[in-house]
Amino acid sequence: MTSRERVLVAMRRREPDRVPFDLSFDISPAKLDEFRQRTGSTASPEEYFGADTRMIRLGPSRIETDFSPWLGSLSPGAAVDEWGIGRTPTSSTDRAHAHLDGFVHPLRDARTDAAILDYPFPDIDADYRYEAPRSAIRAVQEAGLTAVAMMECTIFETAWFLRGMEGLLLDFADGSSAAAALLDAITERRIVQARRYAELGADVLSMGDDVGTQRGMLMSVRMWRGWLKPRLQRVIAAAREVRPDVLVFYHSDGNMAAIIPDLIEIGVDILNPVQPECMDPAELKRLYGDRLSFWGLIGTQRLLPFGTPAEVAADVRLRIETVGRGGGLFLAPTHVIEPEVPFENIVAFVEAVAGAGSGLSKRPRRSG
Amino acid sequence: MDHAPYDPLRNAVIDGDDTLARQLAEEASRAGLDARQLVERAMIPAMDEVGARFERNEYFVPELLLSARAMKAAFAVLAPALAAGPAASRGRIAIGTVRGDLHDIGKNLVATVLQGAGFDILDLGVDVAPERFVEAVCSDHVDVIAMSSLITTTMPGMAGAIGALDRAGLRSAVKVIVGGAPVTAAYAARIGADGYSDNAAGAVALVRRLLKGGSSDPPPPR
Repeated sequence: MTSRERVLVAMRRREPDRVPFDLSFDISPAKLDEFRQRTGSTASPEEYFGADTRMIRLGPSRIETDFSPWLGSLSPGAAVDEWGIGRTPTSSTDRAHAHLDGFVHPLRDARTDAAILDYPFPDIDADYRYEAPRSAIRAVQEAGLTAVAMMECTIFETAWFLRGMEGLLLDFADGSSAAAALLDAITERRIVQARRYAELGADVLSMGDDVGTQRGMLMSVRMWRGWLKPRLQRVIAAAREVRPDVLVFYHSDGNMAAIIPDLIEIGVDILNPVQPECMDPAELKRLYGDRLSFWGLIGTQRLLPFGTPAEVAADVRLRIETVGRGGGLFLAPTHVIEPEVPFENIVAFVEAVAGAGSGLSKRPRRSG
Repeated sequence: MDHAPYDPLRNAVIDGDDTLARQLAEEASRAGLDARQLVERAMIPAMDEVGARFERNEYFVPELLLSARAMKAAFAVLAPALAAGPAASRGRIAIGTVRGDLHDIGKNLVATVLQGAGFDILDLGVDVAPERFVEAVCSDHVDVIAMSSLITTTMPGMAGAIGALDRAGLRSAVKVIVGGAPVTAAYAARIGADGYSDNAAGAVALVRRLLKGGSSDPPPPR
């Protein structure tokens, strides 16, 4: 079974030779330094550890927009992305904090529809930006791996990065038409992006907006249904029109169990990261396992930073026993691997997954 | 006790109606109602109720923000009268996210709910250096330091700030409380904090208990 077959079989809820895995979104810079030093490898951690997926991203934009009218002057070391969202570093000189930065919201004062319509949104829907994904998807699949097309921060997160979290949530509560215009401007571009990725044959569309907190929903289910669900539904539907069987992955941190039935209804196949510190994966499997697959589950809030390698291995076995029956399970850290995660715990995670299940043939690759 | 004159303002804050809250505060001032009584009998009970509804999952973050906005609108009307009257603060609290951490939504909510509960808040913002917490104790004379961290990477900043207070000889002069998604009661105990809460309403109860001279309950293992 190739990695790609393994992922597709498992996510369509049949039993693979072993549970597929990857290393989640990223490894923090300090941890990557340690990875290089420990392994002497110049390969990516995904290659080195034999992860079953590769992330596919858009090619770079040719448009250079001056966002200073919206951002004002930024502190030294600040960066601006193609959406015009400013990122400023913290005061810390600790290398472990290097990946943590603060937002400058370009639309923080945008309270009218005109302010939204005048904004220079990026060209994520332009044809030329899909040339790089086209060849990357082909290369990944020819190597027997799974192509996961990244369109995270799909609607809500991009909207609040632009507007500010408090501003956008108050807009929702106030019924602001400018907020609707902002969400629509983002949604229209995501619709094109989802369709293009589906046309190019991506195996998984990786969508997501964090709407959960440690103890429950960030906003009421009613508010989510009013503002976000119909727009996400349109994005998913656009991909499905082109490829009915494309797998749709949806990420939200925190406890967002209250909207799982709605996500299934609008076509989500895979839930990520099923944060075990605040949701019970076995219970979710019992409730929704016939309609939904689960991706993640290996906690980065408690287990990976503070557990022992033996505890990590035991947790992998527990999740496979309680969630892996009949397929529908993909194991991965629930978020970015932070600097305080002991390297031994990453190795323990990979070895426990690769050594579990019926097909024990594939061991982590040590070459590279 | 007659609640009737205070109920409309209380309800406006609970409902998150800032226009009405401002208008009612203005009317109450003109009618000669005491500003301190309005805070004690309308606004603090309102924020208590908002916190309780949040606990029961009837209110979510947007509703908390609406109520906070309404409370601030009424406070702005009453501020001159409050400043002229005798100080009746229940205690002074410095709050901030620790060095390296910029996640301030939870911290802001806790600050707002503490303010609504009658405490003076010194908001140190985000990415706060240990020395700044020390300065809050020696220069700003706060009774409580409240620290937040959202990710495991920045949690050691809490221990760092407590260590800085220790070295400055100020640890016993102030109560220290901690919170944030990855923080647990066990971690709080390990770094020598005086208390931990995983939510805003719990933080209010915790501060009230600590400032009464009580200690926090021994943390359960998690």
